[in-house]
Amino acid sequence: MRYGIFVAALLVAPAVGVAQPPAGASEALEKVCGACHSVETVTGQRRTRAEWQESINAMVARGAEGTDAEFALILDYLTTQYGPTAAPAAPAAGRGGRGPAFSPGPADKQVVDEAAANRGRKVYAAECITCHGTHARGSERGADLVRSEIVLHDRYGSTLGPFLKKGHPTQTTPAAQLTGAQIVDLSHTIHQEVYNTLRAALQIQNVVTGDPQAGAAYFNGAGKCSTCHSAAGDMAHIASRMDAPELQQRFLFPGGRGGGRGRGGAATAAKPVMVTVTPASSAAIAGSAITGTLVHIDDFNVALRDGAGEYHSFKRTPALKVVKSDPAQAHHELLDQYTDRNIHDIVAYLETMK
Amino acid sequence: MKTLGTFLIASAALMAQGGLNPARLGAPPTDTWPTYNGDYSGRRYSTLSKINQSNINSLTLAWVYRANGAPGGGGGFGGRISATPVEVNGVLYFTMPDHTWAVDARTGREVWHYAWTSHGGDHIGNRGAGVYGNWLYFETPDCNLVSLNLKDGKERWHKPICDLDQYYFGSMAPLVVKNHIITGVSGDDLDRPGYIESHDPETGDLQWRWYTVPQKMGDAGSESWPSEEAMKHGGGMTWLTPTYDPELNMIYVPTGNPQPVIAGKARPGANLFTASVVALNPDTGKMQWYFQSSPHDTHDWDATQTPVLFDGEINGQKRKLVAQASRNGYFFVLDRATGKNLASAEYVKINWSKGVDAKGSPIPNPAKEPQLDGALVSPNQGGGTNWPPPTYDPDTGLFYVSASRAFSVYYIYDPSDKPEGWGGNDRGGWGETMIQAIDYKTGKVKWSHKWEDGGRSGLLSTAGKLLFAGDGSGNLVALDPANGNPLWHANLGSSVTNGPITYELDGTQYLVVAAGDTLFGFAMLR
Repeated sequence: MRYGIFVAALLVAPAVGVAQPPAGASEALEKVCGACHSVETVTGQRRTRAEWQESINAMVARGAEGTDAEFALILDYLTTQYGPTAAPAAPAAGRGGRGPAFSPGPADKQVVDEAAANRGRKVYAAECITCHGTHARGSERGADLVRSEIVLHDRYGSTLGPFLKKGHPTQTTPAAQLTGAQIVDLSHTIHQEVYNTLRAALQIQNVVTGDPQAGAAYFNGAGKCSTCHSAAGDMAHIASRMDAPELQQRFLFPGGRGGGRGRGGAATAAKPVMVTVTPASSAAIAGSAITGTLVHIDDFNVALRDGAGEYHSFKRTPALKVVKSDPAQAHHELLDQYTDRNIHDIVAYLETMK
Repeated sequence: MKTLGTFLIASAALMAQGGLNPARLGAPPTDTWPTYNGDYSGRRYSTLSKINQSNINSLTLAWVYRANGAPGGGGGFGGRISATPVEVNGVLYFTMPDHTWAVDARTGREVWHYAWTSHGGDHIGNRGAGVYGNWLYFETPDCNLVSLNLKDGKERWHKPICDLDQYYFGSMAPLVVKNHIITGVSGDDLDRPGYIESHDPETGDLQWRWYTVPQKMGDAGSESWPSEEAMKHGGGMTWLTPTYDPELNMIYVPTGNPQPVIAGKARPGANLFTASVVALNPDTGKMQWYFQSSPHDTHDWDATQTPVLFDGEINGQKRKLVAQASRNGYFFVLDRATGKNLASAEYVKINWSKGVDAKGSPIPNPAKEPQLDGALVSPNQGGGTNWPPPTYDPDTGLFYVSASRAFSVYYIYDPSDKPEGWGGNDRGGWGETMIQAIDYKTGKVKWSHKWEDGGRSGLLSTAGKLLFAGDGSGNLVALDPANGNPLWHANLGSSVTNGPITYELDGTQYLVVAAGDTLFGFAMLR
């Protein structure tokens, strides 16, 4: 019977050509992302790979916890299933439904039309910029439009239009001179300025502000980086493999996912955490220490995969010796020692390794 | 007096109908868990001891309720139950964004399920429901306070509590104090002012609103802002359920971070009353005192962690205390009648402060504010702790909190003079998590239990000499509150996502905890 169900499942698999979610990805999403927020928060959105990477980075910064493999799976999954061309998020079935939108703000929020916003920018420059400022954030002469409730309640000119037609206190030219189409364009422009203040709208500016020579001195001196790394060896051309923000994140948090706008693929993967488990002398495999890649550890169990690829799992007891070895331990310890000056100097030094 | 008399008569009537007698809200929870924190104190300590250190290994799984497996539960990808259930007359009531369930507290069988049709809003989580008499109250992501009939989940009314167009949303578990339904607002996307409201339990009408930021120059706290425009957009959301002292008649409201969140250039000053613990009169909404946990925060370290109320002795003097393990890594003890600071201490090692001022508030180091080229800061944006509820155990005199020691780099993305919204953020990180047991008299960490694989859950302590917590591997763990040694565990397949609760029905003590979309009921069945 069980067999029959399995065959049926194969038969109903989607046809070739439909992007298949990577195996285990939805589980990883549920585990890593679902630990803090509902997964619909994520799947209600449509983003490019780079944008999803940015979201993941932001979440890691906010405390998301997972393995490198899990984050890689999640990125692949979100890119293939929730890319810009994916179907719009549909309301889930069921009594009452959950509604289509799970991102911040109203479900019927204005969708900015780029071309209209560009046209509106000309109207803005001619009619509004003097008092309301370059980015609509106001000045001594005019209100902050990004924070204006009239703007936030507006959809495609619905409140902006009547407001402008009525004329507002400091308006010098009659508002009626704006056509209906111009008001809609202007609405797109101003909403775009609002959206430009949301999370992930902006990027890191410039992190290369340090002194490369001081960075080299730290690398070879106090930081003891040269114990494991060398400019001519593993670090050769590192700056042509990733950009400066990623360089900064990589040496601070090796194995982290904070990689900035990396060029993908070329960066070396972090070395895995190793573990050596020594069973009690009375156990069946008495005394023979087993070393391998750490798969799982908590207060009660430990699991590893040995050099031959065999999986081993143990119940943790006082008699079971467990020794973890994190190749990035020295990096973690440096977090308590670096000054921000040291960090900027190291970035400047690494940037010389093109 | 007339009001009180009417209230008592009303209470008796409510009791007769089989709903929740509001008087129960002030008592230690035993056969009920009638409010978000179990009682008004926020201690999350239970006097029950049928489940205890000597028999914990006999604790067994009694039932499982999978919210997403339920009809209408949404299907597919699940939400997460971050609500602390309330339990009244043998029925558990809990929420997820847009949803409320009633399930049998003895068997986990569904009694009813209510689904709200959403108009949007951030669906990041919902902390639970409030109960008054025969009525239940919960907030929706699209800014409504909804009242349901306890017995069948039918909607009585809904009232707007915020403006979705301003990107506010609802997530807090409402607090019931006398004839007040206290509601808070969430949202940190656009720069809006935070506030807390009180509503009439019968009609939902507004009784009062208190803004967490001053509304005009000259108002108390306005001296800590550069302009009216800055403070009226200064944030301070009220994400978390307050605690309440009936004797002093004060609610203790923890407030959110100032806005713009990370890029604070255009809001120089301490930015009162954001990132603070504020005492309000629940009848009028008038402020009694405040204490600021994070003056001029630029790291998204709200102070929306539970202000826990207990009585204790400090320097030989008996005091009514309020304690908070704040997101910025500091533990504070205050006199809850006056707000006077009695202790401020780091409960995890931090790197952003230059010490504390005369009032006990930390002094932020400007060099550790977000920078264009990055500043390495600890804790990270997630904080030394976050919303998951801590617990105070009067038997040990220790305050327990799920803590994190983490680093990240804080950047300014928008170097202009008036950054708005998210003109910066933090990125990357490394950290470790642990349970910290804090001696409230000194603020010193008495013991620390580090988790191997992360983990950050709500906590519960009991008279059975047990401390319940979740680790990062999906284990529900009972620890010895005296020293942090794990005594028992059960793997739930997903990490604990709420604060565990306990109650006794028909002589059986239950322990209920959520992990992901599933509620687990454990019991001592022998």
